[in-house]
Parts: sequence; C-alpha cells; structure tokens
Amino acid sequence: MRRILALMLVITALALGAVRQESFGQSYSTASSKNNLSSSAPIKVSLPMKEGSVRFLVIGDTGTGGKEQYQVADLMTRYRQVYPFEFVLMMGDNLYSGEKAEDYKKKFEIPYQKLLDEKVKFYATLGNHDESNQRLYENFNMNGEEYYRFKKGNVAFYSLNSNYMDAKQLKWLEEQLAKDGSEWKIAFFHHPPYSSGGKHGSETKLREVVEPIFLKYGVNAVFAGHEHFYERIKPQKGIYYFISGAGGKLRSGDVNKGSPLTAKAFDKDLSFMLIEIAKDEMHFQVISRNGETVDSGVIVNQRKKSMAASN
Amino acid sequence: MMNQKNFFRAILGCSLAVAFYLTLLPGLPIAVRASIQSQGQQVNLSPRDKQVVAAFEARVKEYVKLRESLENKLPKLSQDATPEQIEKHKTAFQEVVRSARTGAKQGNVFTPEAAAYIRVTIKREFKGTDRQELRKTVLVEADTKAVPLRVNYPYPESEELLEMPPTLLLKLPQLPKQVRYRFVGRNMLLVDRENALIVDYMLDAVP
Repeated sequence: MRRILALMLVITALALGAVRQESFGQSYSTASSKNNLSSSAPIKVSLPMKEGSVRFLVIGDTGTGGKEQYQVADLMTRYRQVYPFEFVLMMGDNLYSGEKAEDYKKKFEIPYQKLLDEKVKFYATLGNHDESNQRLYENFNMNGEEYYRFKKGNVAFYSLNSNYMDAKQLKWLEEQLAKDGSEWKIAFFHHPPYSSGGKHGSETKLREVVEPIFLKYGVNAVFAGHEHFYERIKPQKGIYYFISGAGGKLRSGDVNKGSPLTAKAFDKDLSFMLIEIAKDEMHFQVISRNGETVDSGVIVNQRKKSMAASN
Repeated sequence: MMNQKNFFRAILGCSLAVAFYLTLLPGLPIAVRASIQSQGQQVNLSPRDKQVVAAFEARVKEYVKLRESLENKLPKLSQDATPEQIEKHKTAFQEVVRSARTGAKQGNVFTPEAAAYIRVTIKREFKGTDRQELRKTVLVEADTKAVPLRVNYPYPESEELLEMPPTLLLKLPQLPKQVRYRFVGRNMLLVDRENALIVDYMLDAVP
C-alpha cells in the first residue's frame, strides 16, 4: 500500500512539472533542465525563415566546460526546435586549458550533444587557446587544415587562422577569393580586426594584412571572437564586422562606452547569434543567456546594393 | 663628377632593377606586396643577412626532416580523428622526438647570429607605440607565465598560444608549416605545431 502511495506521489509530481509547450514565438520551458536561467528563457525568433535560406548560429570562446557554457548550449538546443539552423560557426577558444580527450568531452561533446545528435555540423576556427591538432578533430569539420573554405547555398565561408596569419595563408586566401563567384563571402576567425574591447581591442596588425584582401574581393561580413562580449561594428569601408565571443565566458563591462566603432554592443551576459541568409539579405538576431534579443537587423548584400543604387 | 656614359649606365641599371622587381610583385598577395614595398630592408638583405637566414632555414628544415621521419613510423592520424586518437598520437609523437633529440640545446637553431638577426628585424618592425603595445601584450596580457623555457619540453596545454603579429611574420625567415614562432614574455620560441615540443628558444627577442 505504501509503495502504491509513493508511486502515485511521484506520478503526480511529474505531471505537475511537465512540459508546457506553446506556439512559435512564445515561452517554452522544461523542468528537466539542470539550470533555471536558460530553461525558463523565452524563445522568440525574429528571423523570416524563408524557404531555401542558409541558417546558422555563431558562438565564440565557448570551451570552458562550465555552467555558463552549458546554459548557453541548452538555449541553443531549444532555439533549434523553433529555428532549425543547419550548422554552427565556432569563433575559436574551443577548448580552454587542455587538449585531452576529457577536455573535448566536457567542453564540447557533452554541452552540444543534442545538437550533434541532430546532425548539426560545427565548423571551428582556432583561437589563442587552441592547439593546431584540433584541426584533425572530426566534429570541428576543418578538413585537417588550420584554414579552409566551405560553401552552403550561395554563401562561401572562409575560416582563417588568425593566430598565425603568415604569407602562405594570405596567398591561399587571395587565390581562393579571386576565383570565388559566390554571392556572399563570409570570413570568420578568432581575433577581431575591429573591436571596442578594453582588454584586447582592435587587432590592427591583422587588419593591415587581411582588410585589403577582403575589400578587393568583396567579402561581405566578418565574424570574430576573442573578446568576451557581443559587438556589431559600424560598417568599415563597406564590410560588416561582428564579434560573438560570449558563448562560454563573459567580460562584463569591457566594451568602451562611446567607442566610435560600435553600432551595438552587449556585455552584460553571455550570448550567441542566429543568422539567416536569404538571397540578398542577411538577417541576424543576437540572443542573451536569459533569452533576451539584444540586437537584430538585416544587411543587404553590398554588391546588390551598389547595383541598385547605380540603376 | 659622373661622366655622361656612367650616368646613362646608372639609369639603365636602375630601370632594369625596377622592371625585374615589378615582375616579381604580381605573384604575391596584395598585402604581402604592400608590406614588402613599405619595408625596403626586407627585400634588400645584405649578403651576410642572406647567409644567416639561409643557415637558419636549413637548420629548421633539418629538424622538420627528423620529425617527419619519426612521425611516419607512427600510426597515421586522419583528419576525422577522435579526441582519443589525437591525444594518443601527440603523446607518442612527443616521446619519439624527445628521445631522438636528447642532446638538443638552446641555441642549436637560434644560433647567436640568427637570434641577432631576428632581434633587429623585430626592433625595426615595432617602433614607438607599436613597441609599447607589443610589450604590453607579451608581458602583461599573455597567459604564458607557466611556459618553461626548456628545449625538447612540451609547451603546456594550459597556456595561451599568443598570436604572432602578421606583419612581423612577413618579415621573419619563413618556416615550414610544421613549426611556429611563438612569443613567451620577451622571448621567442620555435614550437612544433603537432607534438607541441619546444624546438629551441631565444631570449630577449622583444626590444
């Protein structure tokens, strides 16, 4: 009798804590999540979700294996149920303080397990806490190279190694871009050419060597990490720059207020970006750990924009 | 006073030199071209400097040849490796290279001449506020204090891999892909990118 009563109590408790699922654009929570912060965060997608669009997510500086990383990962997984992004770009610092098999598990495989199970691909770049051997890891999809290119729809992605931007890499980049007829060209790497961060700031020596190439061959947007916050930089010579480096670590208050570079910045909480590229438009939405949309907007392809202006 | 013949010879010589120089440029990335054009001394190495650079590059290639021959004897690592395979390969690779280089000493690759050349190159590249910024990066901001300056020892996984300034990389002797320059404090290391061993180091590279 006691056992039956105990069982009834358990069933009642489970029923009371059950999932409450609402329609698209509203709150969605689960009682089974270990943390309260992201599990109760509302899911609100402001992207158009057009047919045939290229949909991805951008995170950076994730590899702590800490609670914060897991919270963001949990929210990413929940967002995928509503906004089915196909792949993730990782901005580097994928594994902090260790490269053992244990580190890969704790700082990557476990937090993103559900996404990996759903066959979401992660395309990584190397940060200043990442050894070159990460390029060989199956789930980082780097083809064994420290810098590489891949294409999705009408978008070409260039992952670069900003730890070691030598003549060989620059030559490769220029050769690839010169023959690339893709409508969108996106570069991503760890160190930001433009940044309003107090700890690091703009990587001017890097900018000096890559910006001329980006300008010459029509790179549309650049994503970077390294700074542990989010920043959208005002277009620099027509190119859009984003920093998404708060996927696992936060440097609160690090953005220099009043920086002439900043279009929008958020350094109060961790965050990630959702991106949708549909024909001539790149839509973006930046989500904080508690589910708040801290930035959003749309970029029109610069080439199309200038063609329209001249007509 | 130069006579007319010598004057025209000088003009012809300069024209030929410029024409030769311009034929080389189109094959290089624009950023590299811009950098070389702005740093005449990189292009115009003295015969002595050319010897020093060539000898340094030869010693680096010698190390690479050794480590390639040792790595070829290990089970091959694919580009879709698991973390366990990556870790096992790195450990085994470290062991064989360390055993083969038990006699390696500081200065075997960064000889005094090579180190002097590199110091001058860095000094020329970083002046004024650039030098202050570099010092701040390597001495204050970098998480590299626990890196031991010991030849044939591993660069610790826990320590940061400081970004090498790209404009400096264009000026230094070029390295094969298997080895990397890396700043630790004011010192410069040569590190194997796969087994993470410190191949050699030089002190006080940063002015």
